[in-house]
Amino acid sequence: MADARFPLAIRPRPEAGPLARLAAVLGGLVLGLAISVALLVGAGVEPSALLDEFVLVFLASPQSAASVLFQAEPLMFTGLAALLAFRARFWNIGIEGQMIAGAIIATAITLLPGIPDPLRLPVMALGAAIGGMAWIALPALLRLRLGVNEIITTLLLNYVALNGLLWLLYGPWKDPVSGFPYSAEYTAAERLPSLGWGRVDLALPLAILIALAIAFLLARSRFGFLLRFVEANPAASGALGIDVTKVVLTAVLASGALAGLAGFVVSAGVEYRMTQSFFVGYGFSGILIAFLARNRPILALVVALLVGLLMVGGQSMQVFYQIPGSMVQLIQAVLVITVAASDFFVGHRIVLQRAEAAG
Amino acid sequence: MSDFLINWLAMVPVFAAPFALAALGLLVTERSGVLCLAAEGYMLIGAIAAVGASLTFGGYPLLPLAAGAVAAAVVSLLFALLVLVFRVEQVIAGLALVFFCLGLSSLIGSTFGWTSRTVSGNPQWPIPGLSEIPVLGRLLFSQDLIVYLLVPLTALVAYLLNGTMTGLRLKAVGDSPDAADAAGVSILGTRLAAILAGAALMGLAGAYLSVVVAKIWVDGMTGGRGWIAIALVIFSGWRPWRALGAALLFGSIEALVPRVAASGFAIPQYFLFMLPYLATLGVMVWTAWRGGGGGAPRALGRPFLREDRH
Repeated sequence: MADARFPLAIRPRPEAGPLARLAAVLGGLVLGLAISVALLVGAGVEPSALLDEFVLVFLASPQSAASVLFQAEPLMFTGLAALLAFRARFWNIGIEGQMIAGAIIATAITLLPGIPDPLRLPVMALGAAIGGMAWIALPALLRLRLGVNEIITTLLLNYVALNGLLWLLYGPWKDPVSGFPYSAEYTAAERLPSLGWGRVDLALPLAILIALAIAFLLARSRFGFLLRFVEANPAASGALGIDVTKVVLTAVLASGALAGLAGFVVSAGVEYRMTQSFFVGYGFSGILIAFLARNRPILALVVALLVGLLMVGGQSMQVFYQIPGSMVQLIQAVLVITVAASDFFVGHRIVLQRAEAAG
Repeated sequence: MSDFLINWLAMVPVFAAPFALAALGLLVTERSGVLCLAAEGYMLIGAIAAVGASLTFGGYPLLPLAAGAVAAAVVSLLFALLVLVFRVEQVIAGLALVFFCLGLSSLIGSTFGWTSRTVSGNPQWPIPGLSEIPVLGRLLFSQDLIVYLLVPLTALVAYLLNGTMTGLRLKAVGDSPDAADAAGVSILGTRLAAILAGAALMGLAGAYLSVVVAKIWVDGMTGGRGWIAIALVIFSGWRPWRALGAALLFGSIEALVPRVAASGFAIPQYFLFMLPYLATLGVMVWTAWRGGGGGAPRALGRPFLREDRH
């Protein structure tokens, strides 16, 4: 690229304005969406149907808008979980494992007698948060104490959690009524109450509250200040006497707690029981949401809505056009790839070699 | 008991081969300074391509394996574009590629109807004479071609790395790209070659897994083996022979799972399935405890662009 015969050269661009950043992200998104549309049309979907399913659906009826919101609820939790860990420079790839751990604890609580009905949901939520925290605690400690790569440890624990889940569902927790591999149905007191708009339930206001709280903490609290410092420069933070271990551990445990809550939101709000695949796809979507939202909590809610829209649209594509569910996964990966690549144009510009030599 | 032992050990090479191939591929890519988290993705692409080739062309035993290697190398061009040209953070590029390959392989499988269809597998090639030796013949000389190739392949990688100019350049690029660049070595060219060659080996690992070990494609069938291979490479300090040793260790753990399940021990199979992942965790903790991460290429994960130097 520095080859004199090649007319184009890449030059670093030290300071890029917010407008350039926005333009780059939007450019990446547009390219990613264009590739996705091409993929879908190539798979046999009518272009006009795309407009119907992914754009007009939101405006068409309050019912379909509600279904998108409902789908977005667990995504908001996993998106917030991912961004808290990323803020601490901790790659939490184990969100799905933490969701499983959370749902297992919540389901265990449904099996306990003697808890009064009004207390059941709060206790289940608390248990799920603790389960998620417990599942991330080991990778967090290994990384902070021994420097063990958390990408691999959090990911490996997904498989351990999954096998634990399968053991429960095919063994002790098999549905006593049907004998199928899912847990017994939660009672009415163990289900997230509906808000009276489609299936939208209590998880939505809860997610919004948590996002606001995180945004407030990040902007105003001492912890938020320290976390932003650690995010910007972990090495210097340590040198300045900030207790990096404590800050990172707090953020990472909170990330695990939110992932655990996401497991609770799916099992107590969507399925009303624990199934063997309730968590599938939410982990990567959480990472995608945090990435596209640039680790900003309020923005994460918006991106979660868009991913929810993509998922709902994908489900109807599956029904009407036999498009496999994996298409949604592929589209999400394409979006990450194009947006990540577009970042390059924030930090660099491409110049004509000759023009520069003359200047 | 001796039956149990022989049945178990005879399966070790087959289970070790995917780990060994993937670890060697990872090692080649990472020695050039490119962090490769995409292993699981390459293995999936290799696995689906091999099953597809087997179902489409049938008959030829080595063709599916070659198809897997080529397909993964083609997909790795996307990774190369991201990390070499657009200099995307290598962790993000690797993760994005894994999910891209997960989606793509599943989409291909269902679009072409390759999912859950059995394939003919790879013939075993017992070595005449040697395979008749009691016990040893069964363990070492009644395997398939890829297993026989593991040792020569490891020797080749070790020789290339440590005994040739090519290897010297590769390691220079991975350890001190600025110095290598000043000496006239093409950084991006070397890294591109390392990414392609590594991906081909990882694709071969996936192809072996689907066509030889499982004889079937199901979504996400690599089951984290790519991630385990990454841990093995860290454990081995990026050295080929140690990587082969680590692969054998994990192959023997994996081979143990069906054996123990078949022997009627009263352990639920799902706990057995956890074993490889827990063992990987154990190995990672042990490596770190020992003061680990030693042997990592010094520029691992750092992008290079000459224009960045001021």
